[in-house]
Amino acid sequence: MIANKLSPEQIIEKFKAMLGKAVLAGEIIRRAEGRKQAANVQIWLTLDKAALKAAVRLLCSLHYPHLAVISGYDAGEAVVLVYHFYIYYGEWRGEYNVSLRISLAKTDLSVDTISDLIPGAVVSEREKQEFLGVRVKDIPDARRIFLPEDFPEGVFPWRQDETGIPESMVKKLYEAGKNEGEKRRAASVDSKSTRQE
Amino acid sequence: MSISKTLNKSLWVYHVNSGSCNGCEIEIVATLTPRYDPERFGIKLVGTPRHADVILITGPVTKKMKEKVLRVYHQTPDPKLVMVIGACGISGGPFYESYTLAGPVDDVVPVDVYVPGCPPRPEAIIFGVVTALKKLEEIQSKK
Amino acid sequence: MATSETKTHSPIKTVIGPIHPALKEPIKFIFEIEGEKISKVDLAPGHNHRGLEWMATRRNPVQILYVAERICGICSIAHSLTFCRAIEQAAAIETPARADYVRTIFAELERIHSHLLWAGVAALELGFDTLFYKTWEVREDVMDLLEYLSGNRVNYGIMQIGGVRRDITPAQHPRIRKSLLNYTILFDELVNMFLEDSVLRMRCRDTGLLTREEALQLCTVGPTQRASGVAADVRQDNPYCAYGDLRVKAVTPDQLLDEVRGDVFDRIIVRLLEVKQSVDIIAQCLETLPDGPLLAIPKIMVLLNHLKKAEGEGIGRHEAPRGEVFHYLRLTADRESPAAWKVKASTYSNLLSWIKMLQGEQVADIPIIVASVDPCISCTDRVAVIKQGKTAVYTQEDLRRISREKTRRLRQG
Repeated sequence: MIANKLSPEQIIEKFKAMLGKAVLAGEIIRRAEGRKQAANVQIWLTLDKAALKAAVRLLCSLHYPHLAVISGYDAGEAVVLVYHFYIYYGEWRGEYNVSLRISLAKTDLSVDTISDLIPGAVVSEREKQEFLGVRVKDIPDARRIFLPEDFPEGVFPWRQDETGIPESMVKKLYEAGKNEGEKRRAASVDSKSTRQE
Repeated sequence: MSISKTLNKSLWVYHVNSGSCNGCEIEIVATLTPRYDPERFGIKLVGTPRHADVILITGPVTKKMKEKVLRVYHQTPDPKLVMVIGACGISGGPFYESYTLAGPVDDVVPVDVYVPGCPPRPEAIIFGVVTALKKLEEIQSKK
Repeated sequence: MATSETKTHSPIKTVIGPIHPALKEPIKFIFEIEGEKISKVDLAPGHNHRGLEWMATRRNPVQILYVAERICGICSIAHSLTFCRAIEQAAAIETPARADYVRTIFAELERIHSHLLWAGVAALELGFDTLFYKTWEVREDVMDLLEYLSGNRVNYGIMQIGGVRRDITPAQHPRIRKSLLNYTILFDELVNMFLEDSVLRMRCRDTGLLTREEALQLCTVGPTQRASGVAADVRQDNPYCAYGDLRVKAVTPDQLLDEVRGDVFDRIIVRLLEVKQSVDIIAQCLETLPDGPLLAIPKIMVLLNHLKKAEGEGIGRHEAPRGEVFHYLRLTADRESPAAWKVKASTYSNLLSWIKMLQGEQVADIPIIVASVDPCISCTDRVAVIKQGKTAVYTQEDLRRISREKTRRLRQG
């Protein structure tokens, strides 16, 4: 059993007590499935981005959190990052899903790294850098991770604004051979003839 | 065992994943297991393109893999055949548009046999290999 | 460049991948090797990046479902189920209880098939071909069962937003029960073959160690995490679908051997025990299958209209065979396609653990350690060229040969 386990309400209270005004909103969602005997707990907190690190530290003091992933989206004027953590895992229906949401204005897309507290966060932070164009301060490994090395700078696939994927970069595979059927057939004849040489 | 008069050796197959979802991969491997047992005809998967007669390509060819697919193609000795397994290598399939794809496969290398399906059943893959075999015989007999 | 000044060749930089036959998927490892020992490991994923999350912003949710299914052909239930759960939360759709049970049955069948597939691959990497063919033969039986129930061998097309598309009828129960009995018999055989073989034990014991602390810090998931002694399992911690009614318990290696070492052997044990657990879960589900509809909103057009108007966000989670799959989805009322979709596959979380496991190990152990995580690169890379410097390149064939030679040496010794 996990000692000193707090209720979801107490966790939100604790965040509010520790971070004060930096907690912009807090919500508890309960969802049940199957025969709906009991519900699972999701805690959603919206924070000021300056309080992110303190919030993660607070989570660490409750129970070492498991970071599922950092998800993010383009919200017009800002890029929103959502850090999905779990605490109190390892027990029957004991786990809380804690999602911390921070908003980064597009004029200043920098955020503190949390990889010093949770080393496994590096993969996710590297991904956010290349896909959303945020800048993670003090990230131990800033290289690209999933995108090709020759991918153009300043293009971020998940952005919906002018830095998103331009239409010119999109390859439409279904158009393959649409107009060049003849050309293709000729080319395959060529390749056959070279093969026979 | 000689398969035919013209092709006097077993048909060896090399497999390249160019960014596929794994569905075709497991069906290719399932094709090689005791249930279907194509090895009794000498059809087997080899570990290097230099030993292969047929290259199986799965997936819509990501930009990162394009160069590697080409390299494998050039490393395979002639006469060789290219087989595309799965819908995404033929026309993109569910990945019909993307910023990171260089496919479909016949935009990258010339293709001889297409096996459609998402993923194709092992029977279809075997049928594809047999079709490839016929084509290979044709090429050889013209020599 | 190789002039006389390069007297010492240590450490040698070795590149493995991205094309290698054993893993069936492109990923690149860069090793620095001193003698037989691996001193440094780096990973270059991304060869499989197809940009799925971006594609989703141009499609409607039902279309995305089919893409989600094809994130990975092996975890096709896992991703489609997780996507459905995320969008159901975002659009406030309640699934009928029967659909939840059918989902659970399919998810567990997928786990059996995936673990058997993995056991075969692991045996192959160790040069234990008999075991490979044995497990894959039985796996064909699982595929047959899945085909019998869903109509497809791979990419089952069974999930739908708000439920499932096909029922499991009472007439189908005997066929399922027969297969389950087969797996139980097989389970005993596999346990014998894997656990009693002294050479296999020598190869896998204390190889590729990952301590409990490392497993926690690197955010690992699934059997990789549980083999290191972290008793976390989404089915237990945050039970969804029918799991809430079944009392699933996370499998850790100490349930069989009274100790946790966090090595390759422990990962084998966890997966084997999970096959048995899955058989039990399916049997329980069949017994307690509730009656009722299969879909919350049966008409696709009505469903699409509902989703178009819906606004909200949701999290979908599922304990896939390789570990937790996580989807985050956000719907806004102004557009049909989701405003954001983030997919986190199991191997994504386990990437960094490879580096820890491989450091200090021998070259001959690379294949089995890499395979012990049960990697799924197409899941991880979804989303996207490596310059090969002057490096010695081992093909996977070479590696497997080295690995097999080691087994042979041990067997003779």
